[in-house]
Amino acid sequence: MTAHIIRRILSVAFTFIVVSIIIFLMMHSVPGGPFDANDMPVSEAVRAKMMAQWGLDQPLHVQYFNYMWGVLHLDFGVPFQSPGETVVELISRAWVPSLILGGSGVLIGAPLGILLGMAAALNRNTWIDYLASTLATLGLTIPVFVTSMLLILIFAVWLNWLPASGWPQPNRWILPIACYAAIPLATYARYTRSAVLDTLNRPFVTVLRAKGLSERRIVFQHVMRNSAIPLVTVFLPMFIGTATGSIFVEAMFRVPGLGAYFVSSIEVRDYTLQMALMLLITFMYCLAYLLSDIAYALLNPRIRVGGAE
Amino acid sequence: MNALVRLAGIMVAATALSAPVLAQTTVVAPSGSTAGTYMDYMKTVYDRGTGSELLQIPIATFDKEFELTPMAAESWTQSEDGLTWTFKLRPGLVWSDGEPLTAEDFVFALQRAATSGYDFAWYWDFAGGIRGWKEVTEGTADVSTLGLKAVDDVTIEVTTVAPKPYLPSVTSLWYPVPKHKVDELGDDWALDVATIVSSGPFEIESWEKSNNSVVLTKSDTYTGPWSPLIDRLELDPTLNAPEVGLPAFLAGDADYSFLNTGQVPVATARYPDGIRKNAVFATSYISYDLDAAPFNDVNVRRAFYYAVDRAELTSTVLKDIAIPAGSILPPGYPGYNPDIAAEAVFDPERAKQFLADAGFPNGEGFPEVEIWYREEGGYNGAIVPAMAQYLQAEFKEVLGISLNIRALPGPEWMDGLRGKKNNIFIAPYEYDYLDPSNFYGIFYNGGRHGYFIPEYDEIIAKADSESDWDTRYKLYAEAEQLMIDQGLIVPLVHPVTIAVVSDQLTGDGVAPNSLGFTQLDRLGHYFFTHITKQ
Repeated sequence: MTAHIIRRILSVAFTFIVVSIIIFLMMHSVPGGPFDANDMPVSEAVRAKMMAQWGLDQPLHVQYFNYMWGVLHLDFGVPFQSPGETVVELISRAWVPSLILGGSGVLIGAPLGILLGMAAALNRNTWIDYLASTLATLGLTIPVFVTSMLLILIFAVWLNWLPASGWPQPNRWILPIACYAAIPLATYARYTRSAVLDTLNRPFVTVLRAKGLSERRIVFQHVMRNSAIPLVTVFLPMFIGTATGSIFVEAMFRVPGLGAYFVSSIEVRDYTLQMALMLLITFMYCLAYLLSDIAYALLNPRIRVGGAE
Repeated sequence: MNALVRLAGIMVAATALSAPVLAQTTVVAPSGSTAGTYMDYMKTVYDRGTGSELLQIPIATFDKEFELTPMAAESWTQSEDGLTWTFKLRPGLVWSDGEPLTAEDFVFALQRAATSGYDFAWYWDFAGGIRGWKEVTEGTADVSTLGLKAVDDVTIEVTTVAPKPYLPSVTSLWYPVPKHKVDELGDDWALDVATIVSSGPFEIESWEKSNNSVVLTKSDTYTGPWSPLIDRLELDPTLNAPEVGLPAFLAGDADYSFLNTGQVPVATARYPDGIRKNAVFATSYISYDLDAAPFNDVNVRRAFYYAVDRAELTSTVLKDIAIPAGSILPPGYPGYNPDIAAEAVFDPERAKQFLADAGFPNGEGFPEVEIWYREEGGYNGAIVPAMAQYLQAEFKEVLGISLNIRALPGPEWMDGLRGKKNNIFIAPYEYDYLDPSNFYGIFYNGGRHGYFIPEYDEIIAKADSESDWDTRYKLYAEAEQLMIDQGLIVPLVHPVTIAVVSDQLTGDGVAPNSLGFTQLDRLGHYFFTHITKQ
């Protein structure tokens, strides 16, 4: 187990370096730079001055090593988009709203999805199952900006129960959280339904039934635990994806979050922030899969001892 | 009894104290862009903090009829030879920290702009024509050689390379920079609400950098013209998109919202008195690389000029959001010449003839070309992509040629235009100051498009420095005729923005001007100081 974890950590470090090189090269291979002309020509002297000020006049490999040396010391530089603060300060400021809204969305959506999925599986081919499947399909197929628009229209414009958008008053959190919850809810409902059905059909359940265990014990003690593995696999990546903010949800609900920075940093060639965000995401996904691996091992002894099914 | 009197006294005092709080008016408006680095218009224009311009007092600005109104300056005079302008500041102007605002702060603003990588530096050469500007920005001359001088605390002298009869209107984008703050903190003075000082009608209360929204309050130190009638102003760029702005408006979270084409009929039916239109002083046009085939042939360019049905374009795909453009100048803009604009007709036969004269009868043998446009939001974002598709179909139908379309991010598009990496572009341009020289200048001596037409340059140079308006008007018309004859551009459309305004918002700012247009935040100094809220 320990050797397994060490191996995984080494592979995480390797992934991290490879990703950083790829992102860095891709970022600089995109034409244009952060201080290019917008509407009218910028004089070469002016542009050169700006580039020199940010160290962008140095050879690429020097820029890369300088940046990564900083990263090792948790110094991700200063974002061109917000010169008054460091990248770390920017991310820690902008991440809070995204984490609150996206995180709550997953934490609320996922358990509801599990309940819905279980209800569907245990009542297969009844109206409950059909309703759950319909909800899950809708949740996965309707784009979030449409969901946002509908929620705003119903709850803010027609019923006038909630504000349409904005930050930071908590009553403004409800609609975006509901919006964020839709995808985890739908995903979990589908995963849970198929995982539970799959487990219910396995021979050990028949054995348990033959032994006379109550259906409730079979479901809650045995079926759920055995259905948990696929659910664990999706949870952390989904949490990371959602809790780093969606540009659509944040734009529709006017949330000053991290989501927009993923796009704007590319658009305006904000190299420092772009690198930091990508490295952050890489690191979190690596960590998520590492944790998922450990969780697997705890749930399934066969993985723990390295055996195959 | 004594206790009762005391209690009554306390209640009266409490009411008196709470009255101003109750009466506070806050206006929430869509304005600005979501990207903002410095709250300093003289440091960056394209990435400025929202409301930077409302925090400072310009030398002069425009009212809703586009009359130039003195702001920081009380008066100005031009020297005999036309090369030197003297601006007299109003006495008693102060910064919000109590420091006096002097001519030195205005001169310093431009000296710093010329030497520190200001992204709007081109304006002061192209529009201002300030002596030495080009040399100083290019690093070949010292800043002391600039044609700028603070003669005393209230007198500024500006020397230009040639007579600039319209210089006062150029100064509508000249704001002071607090030299005492820059001496103390450098450029960082404009990064933190605690260190930002203002000289304009508003002060800053808070700034959310993640989306560049701000809360401004009425300044209590401002002594210039146009004091605000409201107490607080929330400017939120995230409300700019009509898809976000209108729902917020309907829910009572915003005081006005811009509308997209789909929203116009709905909002008009529901708020017939709340609809406001603004013909933006802007033009979308086709430009070329004049040196590259097939557009190095004037016949090809003229064929394109006559192949566009602007009336159909603006009554179908661009309904409500654009009007036909017959010239580079929009209607109502100084120097606009209706006779010239009337030449831009849709004439498919003539277009076909020009193309045949160029050696491509019915488009046969014409190479495949790709038109490049810039991806952006705002009114251009609503107009340009749809227009590109329309042109694609139109050119196929009328000229029998294949036009591919490519959207590029701003800097790449600009790089392509400047570097002549493609041969045909859709270019939008919005005015910066109110004078024909603004629009004609973009094709002058290289300008924005790398056009070098000696004949054109000669007329423009003459027109720009001419002090007699009628002569100027004729000269600019001559220049535009030359553009048409040589097919330098194809004027396509002028954008129109439509907004819905809450009936709680009143005052001159929301009342249409004599042309029937309401500028809203496009003339921020006027608008935000001329609205009240019930």
